[in-house]
Amino acid sequence: MSKALLNSNIKDDFAIFEKKILNKDLIYFDTAASAQKPKIVINEINDFYNNHYSNVSRGVHTLSVESTFKYEDSRKKVKDFINAKSDNEIIFTKSATESINLVAQTFCERYMKQGDEVILSIMEHHSNLVPWYFLREKYGVVLKFAMIDEEGKIDLDHFSSLINDKTKIASITHLSNVFGTTTNKEIVKICREKEIFIMLDGCQAAAHNKIDVQDLDCDFYVFSGHKTYGPSGIGVLYGKENILNDLPPYQGGGGMISEVTLDSVSFADLPAKYEAGTPPLVEAYGLGIAIDYMNSIGIENIMLHEQELSNYALKKMKELEFVEIYGNGNEKSSIISFNLNHIHAHEVASFLDVEGIALRAGHHCCQPLMRHLKVNATSRISFGVYNDIKEIEVFIEALNKCKDFFKK
Amino acid sequence: MNDLLKDLYQEIILDHGQDPRNFGECENHNKSAKGHNPLCGDKVYVTLLVDQDDVIKDIKFSGEGCAISIASASLMTEKLKNKSLDEANKIFNDFTNLVKGSTDELRLLTEEDSLYALKGVEAFPMRVKCATMAWHTYKSATNE
Repeated sequence: MSKALLNSNIKDDFAIFEKKILNKDLIYFDTAASAQKPKIVINEINDFYNNHYSNVSRGVHTLSVESTFKYEDSRKKVKDFINAKSDNEIIFTKSATESINLVAQTFCERYMKQGDEVILSIMEHHSNLVPWYFLREKYGVVLKFAMIDEEGKIDLDHFSSLINDKTKIASITHLSNVFGTTTNKEIVKICREKEIFIMLDGCQAAAHNKIDVQDLDCDFYVFSGHKTYGPSGIGVLYGKENILNDLPPYQGGGGMISEVTLDSVSFADLPAKYEAGTPPLVEAYGLGIAIDYMNSIGIENIMLHEQELSNYALKKMKELEFVEIYGNGNEKSSIISFNLNHIHAHEVASFLDVEGIALRAGHHCCQPLMRHLKVNATSRISFGVYNDIKEIEVFIEALNKCKDFFKK
Repeated sequence: MNDLLKDLYQEIILDHGQDPRNFGECENHNKSAKGHNPLCGDKVYVTLLVDQDDVIKDIKFSGEGCAISIASASLMTEKLKNKSLDEANKIFNDFTNLVKGSTDELRLLTEEDSLYALKGVEAFPMRVKCATMAWHTYKSATNE
């Protein structure tokens, strides 16, 4: 098999693969929803709680020092992971969703008034739609939606045509969670030329591609820990330092203040300014370990591995005349959405579950896109470091069985 | 008593903490700044009289804080008085390197220096801010 593939014993790094699903080996094709966790992440989290745990950034005692160092060390790892300029540009949140809400609300408060415009796309995840809908309802902000092409990529000409004097910011997926297509970084150039801000939603991209926010030159970048082999409950917001300094605080609470009196408050410097309350410190630490894990394999190698799996699966699926694939391009970065003729995605998912195969069926939190594609739901397979070619063979075999089973 | 603590609370620190020198405000000061440590709420106010040749003719501080922060402020005023701003800034860098445990070579401070007494802070990372609060306040007063 191709050299691009990772060694299949990588599964040993993950305890979950010792589990049988109805006596079958688990084939986990749902990494785009959430990645499985390497043992090292789980063990290190245990060790943190057992041996080092206390609150961060407040106490003077040894455990507080250890916790703070572990927490801040993770921030450095995240900074390096996406090549940010400074630790101050990395804000820990509870999820990518919270990161997007943070930007939407503080950005609107600082820079927008009624009638100002935001550009999204029709294929955004609900988490990059609904926070902006709130602004539309509350403040009369106008939302415009970029169209996509046949491949499932942002139509940059259409995107560009939506920008006018009232446009203030665009917020666009970096890698589609339905098509597996990557948004051309030209989009940032367009925003620079037209002098609007841009946020990229990197939830899918961060686990599969090398992210370089300085090269991308976006103003904000968000991703979640749980899709990058880290724990749930941790998200990241990257923002250019001068912009984050200019935006107002998001939530109020402990840790984000400089000084509080009974009638006034001044705020802490970055990144503390956006980290009100006790942060998800162990989760942040776990994300740092997950990043170490990915680096130990090599992001480049992960990319090649998943590309190889995607290419192979796409080729095999195209040979099946009863399979319809969404997005007609060949660029499927670890994600392939499809339907079997006349069989609902939920039937496919249940049938494959019995074969030990975990895949996603539904609207993928992209109902507007599903409407555009004129489907209610699709099935979706997505790959991670632990998948291999053999599993794709089993999957293709299962699709055939599924078609025969539901044959009228 | 633990050695780390002995290092942290050397006699000179306890002395300056309880009986700070140059406490108050300089008469006719022409530079000043307020500083505080958001982690504990300690505050300091530093005033300076800097002459035309950029020499610190007088420097005083006032405020509330722990023994480390008060002693550090007190020792700072003793050290920086009659120094040029250029020398003072070098001492500032030396001192912050010293308490952070940085391996950078010190340029003006030596082990004989009274400020060296604060080296024990490096073993208590959460106290570095206590030791440097007055220094950063000095810095912002002279950077205005």
